[in-house]
Amino acid sequence: MKLRAIALNTFKEAVRNKIFYLLVVLGVITALSSVIVSMLAIGDTEKVLKDIGLAAIDFFSVLIAIFTGINLVYKEIEKKTIFNILSKPISRSSFIIGKFLGLAFTLLIALASMASIFMAFLYLSTGNMDPAILAYFFLLYLELLIITSISLFFSSFSTPILSSIYTISLYLIGQVLWTFNEFKHHLKAPLEKITAYFFYYILPNLEKFNIKNEIVLNNRLDGQLIANGIIYAVLYISALLVLTIIIFDRREFQ
Amino acid sequence: MNALEIRNLKKTFKSNFLIRQYPVLKGIDITVEKGEIYGFLGPNGAGKTTTMKCIIGLIYPDTGEISIFGQPSDDTARRRNIGFLPEQPYFYDYLTAEELLMFSGMLFSLPTKQTRQKTGELLELVGLEQKKNLKLKKYSKGMLQRVGLAQALINEPEFLILDEPFSGLDPIGRKELRDIILSLRDNGKTIFFSSHILQDMEMMVDRVGIILDGTIRKEGKLSELISHSVRYYEIVFTGIDENILANHPAKYVFQDNHYIARLDTVDETNKIIEFIVQNKGKIISITPIKRTLEDIFFEEIHQ
Amino acid sequence: MKKAGLAFAFIALMIGVGYMQFIYDSHYSYFALHKTFVTLPPGKTMKILSFGFHNLMADMLFIWSIQFYSTYNLTNRFDYLEHIFNTITDVNPRYKEPYIVGSWIMALEARDIRMAMRLLEKGAKNNPEEWIFDYELGFYAFKNLRNYPLAEKYFKESASKPNAPSMLERRWAHMVYMRDNLQYAYELWLDIYKKSKKLLERDSAANHLHQIKFEIDKKWLDRQIAMFKTKRYRFPFNLEELVRTGYIDKVPRDFNGYDYIYDAKTGKITASKVFRWKK
Repeated sequence: MKLRAIALNTFKEAVRNKIFYLLVVLGVITALSSVIVSMLAIGDTEKVLKDIGLAAIDFFSVLIAIFTGINLVYKEIEKKTIFNILSKPISRSSFIIGKFLGLAFTLLIALASMASIFMAFLYLSTGNMDPAILAYFFLLYLELLIITSISLFFSSFSTPILSSIYTISLYLIGQVLWTFNEFKHHLKAPLEKITAYFFYYILPNLEKFNIKNEIVLNNRLDGQLIANGIIYAVLYISALLVLTIIIFDRREFQ
Repeated sequence: MNALEIRNLKKTFKSNFLIRQYPVLKGIDITVEKGEIYGFLGPNGAGKTTTMKCIIGLIYPDTGEISIFGQPSDDTARRRNIGFLPEQPYFYDYLTAEELLMFSGMLFSLPTKQTRQKTGELLELVGLEQKKNLKLKKYSKGMLQRVGLAQALINEPEFLILDEPFSGLDPIGRKELRDIILSLRDNGKTIFFSSHILQDMEMMVDRVGIILDGTIRKEGKLSELISHSVRYYEIVFTGIDENILANHPAKYVFQDNHYIARLDTVDETNKIIEFIVQNKGKIISITPIKRTLEDIFFEEIHQ
Repeated sequence: MKKAGLAFAFIALMIGVGYMQFIYDSHYSYFALHKTFVTLPPGKTMKILSFGFHNLMADMLFIWSIQFYSTYNLTNRFDYLEHIFNTITDVNPRYKEPYIVGSWIMALEARDIRMAMRLLEKGAKNNPEEWIFDYELGFYAFKNLRNYPLAEKYFKESASKPNAPSMLERRWAHMVYMRDNLQYAYELWLDIYKKSKKLLERDSAANHLHQIKFEIDKKWLDRQIAMFKTKRYRFPFNLEELVRTGYIDKVPRDFNGYDYIYDAKTGKITASKVFRWKK
């Protein structure tokens, strides 16, 4: 009940932000521009359409995840609205979890809007509707939740500018971390090797949520790997929320 | 059982890189009895807000014990019975007063119906019934203060903590607030509030604690603190020739065709009354001047 | 108490995270999936997709390709070799290492000299002030194609570049003249190897030295083995036998100090692969 109150409040606050709407609209526009661009391509227009559309939605929804999350806790502390909440019988952990749920809901709405508009256009343009594309959006949503938990984490102790830098950096690292899978085998010195292994497993490995290739090339989806991705996301998000709570528990508000 | 007990509360704030340390609370002891109004008095920067934030859990003390109705204060569930009004309250400015109160009620896990009813009552109590659908963004400072009080009362708390509740209110608002606090006390609630406006306090508190530079200098029932406290008697009179008055040892001033004399004891007062009557003078008024809270306060400061 | 619980929960969850990643990696070969990756979009497209981060994209692709080609357990991994390195060099034409390292993989591993030279030509075209591309081209022309006029042309071109080491012009022309004297070529390269401060140049020199030394040693060993066979009617059991029987003074090692591989059945000498860029 208390979580619901905070989550709803967070949602209300998030959707009041003009940037939020801007990003959603941009996402939709870019995704739909794929219809026009695809007409320029020779050959497989459906592939190009999907490519651009999915990439656009990916890009803009990631921006939404980062920038909405960053402001949330920081703004509460800045504006001192947090006094009214923490002076009530609600634990710090409930506050953080409530905020996260509010953000998750916000992202769900944003992604669902962009995705449904795009899928509608896709259907109208090509006459095909591949249900696998829903799997893509599902995995993208999991990725967004991980990013959100990262930005919430930084937001609990850092200013918006620094938080956004850290979060974006971790996102980019998450995209290319898979390349170091082989690399870490080849290290010889034990200190280097341990460090490399440690960071490889700690840092978020986001490539697994990117099944654009499979969707666009109509390859078969591997159920086991999707299940792995779900568990990975749940564990990672939980770990980050726990860490956020640990840090937030110790904060004082002067 | 006391509503609030604080023993040896200490808090030092550390600046970045731990170079500078700012001790704010240097060993605070406070006792608030159940059902009384406690006035927490002190100049700006003395540590009033810090103390209150320690009680409510926004700040963690370095050492010391705080217990509320006999239970340690750091349990989150304790706050179910507490109402808190922070200094200069800030709220989500896109909510209306009604929405804010409903939201606050939800944070206490109160049933919606009950909250709705209570919201209506409280809005009337603080005089915001007309403005309940206006977004808080548009509220004046005084109105925000009233909303703050309302949300502090949404859970019908046994114990109210109010940080500078009178600030920003006009005289009418202050009287209304005084009346509310007094009626709460009459209903058995305990109120702990801070202010640096002595006149307000004097009119309503049962107990006073004076905090200065991080320590409690004086604490006690107001009646006790100012009881043995007639400072002097003031007599205003006319009709006596100045030459005759010169024979009397009392000090006096002449103002607006009146004499005003100050006498330190009852005996001296009686003597001068006899003197005036004997010399056919006219007594206009006799007033015992008591120590006020202000006097007590400034005495502490000058030590 | 609560803090300890939370900290423990965090560590436990992160261990779970690491474990899931480990399962994912073992189940899922990035390279199998990324067979689709090897059908990369052409370089120009990749460049656009990198949204201005050309250098970063080229770096990433290059690092990935190095890892890809250093794992030997995949068949047909050279299928898209030229395509991959063309893509990398399209994304960032001024990034030197992919041309050089790519040409080594092509020449020494995939053994396609022409492919290597195509890549190097591209490098020379896109980086007209660099001396190293024509230098490498000259080497291949000299040693593999045995096209001496072409080699001379390349070397002259290389020597004309602003940053070329001063010895190039004199020495290389002379080397072409001394075309059959491998020993001289070896000494020239050794000179560069010792003097050069840049890693790329040293590695390049080391590779070439390895090849030349191998050729020199092989020539010598082949002769001695042939002589042995004539006398004893069999190939030596191993190279040490050649030493014991006085045909050679000591067993030569390759440029990096490793033993050559000798097949007693056929009497043939081969060199173990060595690539300076693999550690």
